[in-house]
Amino acid sequence: MRIKSNKAVVAEIDMTPMIDIVFQLIAFFMVITNFEQIQADERVKLPSDSLAKPPETKAADELVLNIGFDRNQQGEITDPQAYVFYTGEKIPVLKFGPKFEQEARIYKQKNQDPNDVPVILRSDALVDTGLIQDLIKLAQENGFTKFAFKATQKTQ
Amino acid sequence: MKLRSSGREAEKIEPQMAPMIDVVFQLLIFFMLTLNIVEPEGDFNVNMPITDDSPSDDMPQFPDIKVRLVANEDGSLNTIRLGQVNLGNGPNVFAGLNNEILKIIGRPGNPITKDMEVEIEADYNLHFEYTLKAVSACTGRLDSSGKHIIRYIEKIKFAPPVGGPSTEG
Repeated sequence: MRIKSNKAVVAEIDMTPMIDIVFQLIAFFMVITNFEQIQADERVKLPSDSLAKPPETKAADELVLNIGFDRNQQGEITDPQAYVFYTGEKIPVLKFGPKFEQEARIYKQKNQDPNDVPVILRSDALVDTGLIQDLIKLAQENGFTKFAFKATQKTQ
Repeated sequence: MKLRSSGREAEKIEPQMAPMIDVVFQLLIFFMLTLNIVEPEGDFNVNMPITDDSPSDDMPQFPDIKVRLVANEDGSLNTIRLGQVNLGNGPNVFAGLNNEILKIIGRPGNPITKDMEVEIEADYNLHFEYTLKAVSACTGRLDSSGKHIIRYIEKIKFAPPVGGPSTEG
């Protein structure tokens, strides 16, 4: 009996649709990703408001401060003391004065008036208003006069 | 003239797919991992120029609109007072405040709003979210399409907080 020797057939998979989809996905993720460094701290649960719109113009320099509480995995507050989360440090709000002084000095070295640098306050919804006002006062003592509160945009 | 290729089968050039797919998957995974979803955030601007506490000699053309926020023990909102009017408390209190501000300014975009200021006086222990809502209610409202902000009063300032530990003499 003679066996019919046929050549080994290489099963060719059609790659085209897969590559189409993969490119689509890459394009999607590229568009969605923002590499902009936002100085946000995930421990801060911002209040939300429908009027909170992203600013149309962005200042070249701004001082972003995150004010919030220590929270556990479930998001519960573990320490009633409010802190400013500042470059990895945790500073009680009322002890932030020296840091403002330091920041103001840095801006002055760069020939910038602290007056022109907006201080962006990313404050947790549950922080005492008085503490925020005390923090603003500390900032004013060091020459900062422009402030902005951050809030997440509420969608209805 | 006889073409050479006529005798041969048309040869199909197969590009090497494997390296491309490798790279493409690498890219895909990179973008997937670097993705972080950030909620859109917005700003409320507050100007707080450094002033001495002595009252200025020239009276402003319009007196400040005074909004007083009273807190409960636990930091939640107790009542809002606008001047002498008590707006009370409840889910619609900020909408009420918004309406009252509109009544004062007459119509949105009124030129007098440029000279008007709202002074917010809050209890020390009031949670920040209520203060922010009050700021928002004084600033304006969204139009019916929900896309544009109708501005009421842009200038917001804060009075020193009422009560609290920092009121040492």
